[in-house]
Amino acid sequence: MKDGSGFWTQALTIARRDLMIESRGGEVFGVVLPFAAVAVFVVPLATDALATRLDQLALPVFWLVGLLFGMQVALRQTGTENLAQRRTLALLGIDPAARFAGRSLAAAVLTTGVMVVIAPLVVLFYDPDVIPAVGPSLLAIVGFSVGLSMLSTLAGDVTVGLRTRSSLAPLIVAPISVPLIIGASQTLEALIRDRSTMAPALLLTVTVLSLAVTGVLTAPALEDATT
Amino acid sequence: MTKRLVLPALSAVAIVYALWLALVSSPDVFQGDFVRIMYVHVPSSWLAFLAFGVTALGSALWLWRKTIVWDRIAEASAEIGVVFTALSILTGAIWGEPVWGTYWDWGDARMASTALMLFVYLGYLALRRATPDPVARAKRSSILGLIAVVQVPLVYFSVSFWRTLHQGQTVRPDGIQMDGSMVAALLAGLAAFTLLYLALMVERVRLARIEDENMLSDSVTAGTAITAPDLDGIS
Repeated sequence: MKDGSGFWTQALTIARRDLMIESRGGEVFGVVLPFAAVAVFVVPLATDALATRLDQLALPVFWLVGLLFGMQVALRQTGTENLAQRRTLALLGIDPAARFAGRSLAAAVLTTGVMVVIAPLVVLFYDPDVIPAVGPSLLAIVGFSVGLSMLSTLAGDVTVGLRTRSSLAPLIVAPISVPLIIGASQTLEALIRDRSTMAPALLLTVTVLSLAVTGVLTAPALEDATT
Repeated sequence: MTKRLVLPALSAVAIVYALWLALVSSPDVFQGDFVRIMYVHVPSSWLAFLAFGVTALGSALWLWRKTIVWDRIAEASAEIGVVFTALSILTGAIWGEPVWGTYWDWGDARMASTALMLFVYLGYLALRRATPDPVARAKRSSILGLIAVVQVPLVYFSVSFWRTLHQGQTVRPDGIQMDGSMVAALLAGLAAFTLLYLALMVERVRLARIEDENMLSDSVTAGTAITAPDLDGIS
């Protein structure tokens, strides 16, 4: 740690690098976020707004948009490392687990940002009856974003360099992300209905921790597979 | 050639015997004859769990030993698992309509988690198809094979974790809640499907070896067919 090459130092350096590239490229907040906002806006137009209870669609649309565009954030072009970059990092002695942690952290920050911007739009367009408390809701969003980012980073690394990566990675992420969706959405539902959030929050926490352990343990093998 | 037929022949005989037992066993007090679908549905589900467990084991052993046969075993088992998961969902839906009054129920944790397991392994197979090089394919898919197996205990224990339409475990430590002839038919079905799994595995692993050999020989042929351009006479 003293020479600045400890796990967290490396992870934070990688995260800072990813966020810097993103701030230059502006892919997430310039392209993905507007696209997500359009998706939130389009759903009511695809239903009979007079006959459909839009307030009941608010939470499902929020989580669906979060899932689909969260994946896009983690698999964004500006966050993709080419083979040369991966090899350079390996030769520099960057811990593969730290690389995974750093990339996931950067994606989690960006995904949380997207979802925090989308939330008021959902409230505005869908007018839900009850809005849950901001603090606990933010925790659920952050938990979901962290889990989804780790999962998407894993899937992105498994499929790196493949021609079908853009469609294959979401196919891998979407079904495995279900415990995250259930945990986060049920936590928010429990907050709205004034029920105990213990069980869904526990599911979310256990899933996030499992993904973290899996990502860290498989990182060396994954680096070997893709460099 | 004769040796190769032993396992398929044994499994065919076992399946015919298991089906016969399924047809002559007692009908259920509540479900009547619809219970007979269970003798295909339960072994299919068991086979899916077994197959995905073997996929994870093959993936782990490949990562450890780097012997390509473990990757072939993982692939073959995943393919068989996908087929039997689909069969399990299909037979469950056919049984569900007359007994529950619906082919599909979103409130049922077992159904939803089984469908998700199917999608996860379809993703695993799609990843394999997208990677032509056998070694690169083995490296990538072994990691996914280890991650994907988490779905298996989730599906199995889903009836205990969540309130669900699907019945709980019938075979429990405190005893079996079934008539003797039904238990016999069920056990025969499980044994027959396991034999079928072994027979399919042997053939699929053999086929995977041939596929890899063909791929290598194709690349050699393509390599030798390419010659340097003749530049004589071109100034």
